[in-house]
Amino acid sequence: MGAGGLAALPLVRAESDVVFEAGLRMAAVALLALVAALVLEWPPLVPASLVLLGALYGAQLAVDDASLDSGSALFAAGALVTAELAHWSLEERERVKADPGEQLRRLAFVSLLGLGALVVAGMLLAVVDEVGTGGLVVDLLGAAAAAAALLAIVLAARSRDEA
Amino acid sequence: MRRRGSPRLGAYAALAAIGFVGALALRRPELAIVAAPFAIVLAGGTALARDPEVEVELSLATDRTVEDAEVEAELVVRAARPVDRLELLLELPRGVDVVDGVDARAIRLHPGEERVIALELRPTRWGLYDVGAVEVRARDPLRLVVWKSRFARTRTLKAYPRVEWLSRTVTPVETQANSGSEVARVKGDGIEYADLRDYVPGDRVRAINWRASARRGDLVVNERHPERNTDVVLFLDSFTDVRADGRSTLDDAVRATATLASRYLERRDRVGLIAFGGILRWLRPGMGHWQRVMLIETLLETGVEPTYTWREVSGIPARILPPKALVFAITPLVDSRFVSAVEDLRGRGFDLVVLEVDPVGLVEPGTSEIARLAYRLWILERETLRARLEGLGVGVARWGEDVSLEAALQGVRTYRRNARLERV
Repeated sequence: MGAGGLAALPLVRAESDVVFEAGLRMAAVALLALVAALVLEWPPLVPASLVLLGALYGAQLAVDDASLDSGSALFAAGALVTAELAHWSLEERERVKADPGEQLRRLAFVSLLGLGALVVAGMLLAVVDEVGTGGLVVDLLGAAAAAAALLAIVLAARSRDEA
Repeated sequence: MRRRGSPRLGAYAALAAIGFVGALALRRPELAIVAAPFAIVLAGGTALARDPEVEVELSLATDRTVEDAEVEAELVVRAARPVDRLELLLELPRGVDVVDGVDARAIRLHPGEERVIALELRPTRWGLYDVGAVEVRARDPLRLVVWKSRFARTRTLKAYPRVEWLSRTVTPVETQANSGSEVARVKGDGIEYADLRDYVPGDRVRAINWRASARRGDLVVNERHPERNTDVVLFLDSFTDVRADGRSTLDDAVRATATLASRYLERRDRVGLIAFGGILRWLRPGMGHWQRVMLIETLLETGVEPTYTWREVSGIPARILPPKALVFAITPLVDSRFVSAVEDLRGRGFDLVVLEVDPVGLVEPGTSEIARLAYRLWILERETLRARLEGLGVGVARWGEDVSLEAALQGVRTYRRNARLERV
């Protein structure tokens, strides 16, 4: 449902038919990937599905050349909650008896995480709106953040190899 | 504990990186905003994740039980640091189950907290089991990092075989010198009346049968049978085990052996054990509760060890097979080496009974005509073998799904009452 909502956001606002039709196909593939991840219990398909949805969102923004989208905070929170719920669903497949009330507690935690993501993304949106300009400094900051994330991927892969 | 990243870690790192790169490529800050929560969760989760230093130990209320009986156990879990989700998987050996069927649990621990999880274990078969191995998986609140460990401080649980109902045992032909519950055939001091004979000087006055003496006009005394004990050697076939549908001839044979040992020891007989198979195990005949414990613990180690070597009775030490002992062979009558040993023992003059743990119900006849013919031939061969043993004076009790141990031994008791036992 979360993935459906994420797919609906760019599709509803698509101004050109080309974007809408291509987006519809991408959304279908993304949803299929998410369903496959849950059915086949294969976690790598969860980020693949979210990447497709993110690409759809980015493509819609780029093609339609829209101004700063205020809905991005909602999209960010939705993407995080979708990822959390998908991974949680995969974890729950294991035959483990948990303490009573554990599921409610986890649900509350995920909701809180989503709310936090909404607040953080909203604040970032406000900052970007306030700064309003791009330029070399912003590009460098973006590149540094991307490099940090890539470094995290490498570290994650290494920790898995060691295990 | 070994630390490794969960699938979330890689996924969130990839999403954050792709989001930031996409934002730069498309020059859309919205994509960076979408990627930011993933990056924050990633950074926060990995920075805060610490080894929870978990300690797990399983304790048992008792280390001895009977198969199918429940044993109370406690899983004591401690953690130095908080654990959002601690998954505990009990690695139980085959033959031991958790009564409620839940062998994997997830709990939440606060720093320094100790949690005791009560469990009930049930061994479904007799044997020696090492229990207490626990696989542990701890997760941080953001579920980005997983710590894994295996605690293998095991304790041995001894599951004794179930004792079948048996009201009477098979009476041995000859008794030993010590007092017991068996009425000896010889005459001497005892309770059971045997005969009358003429008084001879030296006879006790209390032995005089005054009524008979008055009738005869001369003194006659009562003769009595003394109560003696017997030596019983349980001769267990561990060459082969026929298994099907959760039933096993060796399992049943061990249960029958434990039952017979208990019944004979209750009668104050001396009971010994020979497990005759790939590995030769024995226990000298003895009496009392301790002998029962030792006998059953020897039985617990019994298993089928494959061997192609020929085994002979001459390999058994003489002190294990005392003269005049009743040898109780417990066997599915499948391995020719054991059958030869039984015939050999009879040839040496031992009083012998065969308790056949019937494997016929465990073998499918097959679907082809040849297979069905082979099955019928096998049944006929078994009947021939039984007849051959009975011809040697060996009583054969067939114990199977349709016949109780009590009924099977009743047949042998009848056979032995009517058959004359001869030295062959």
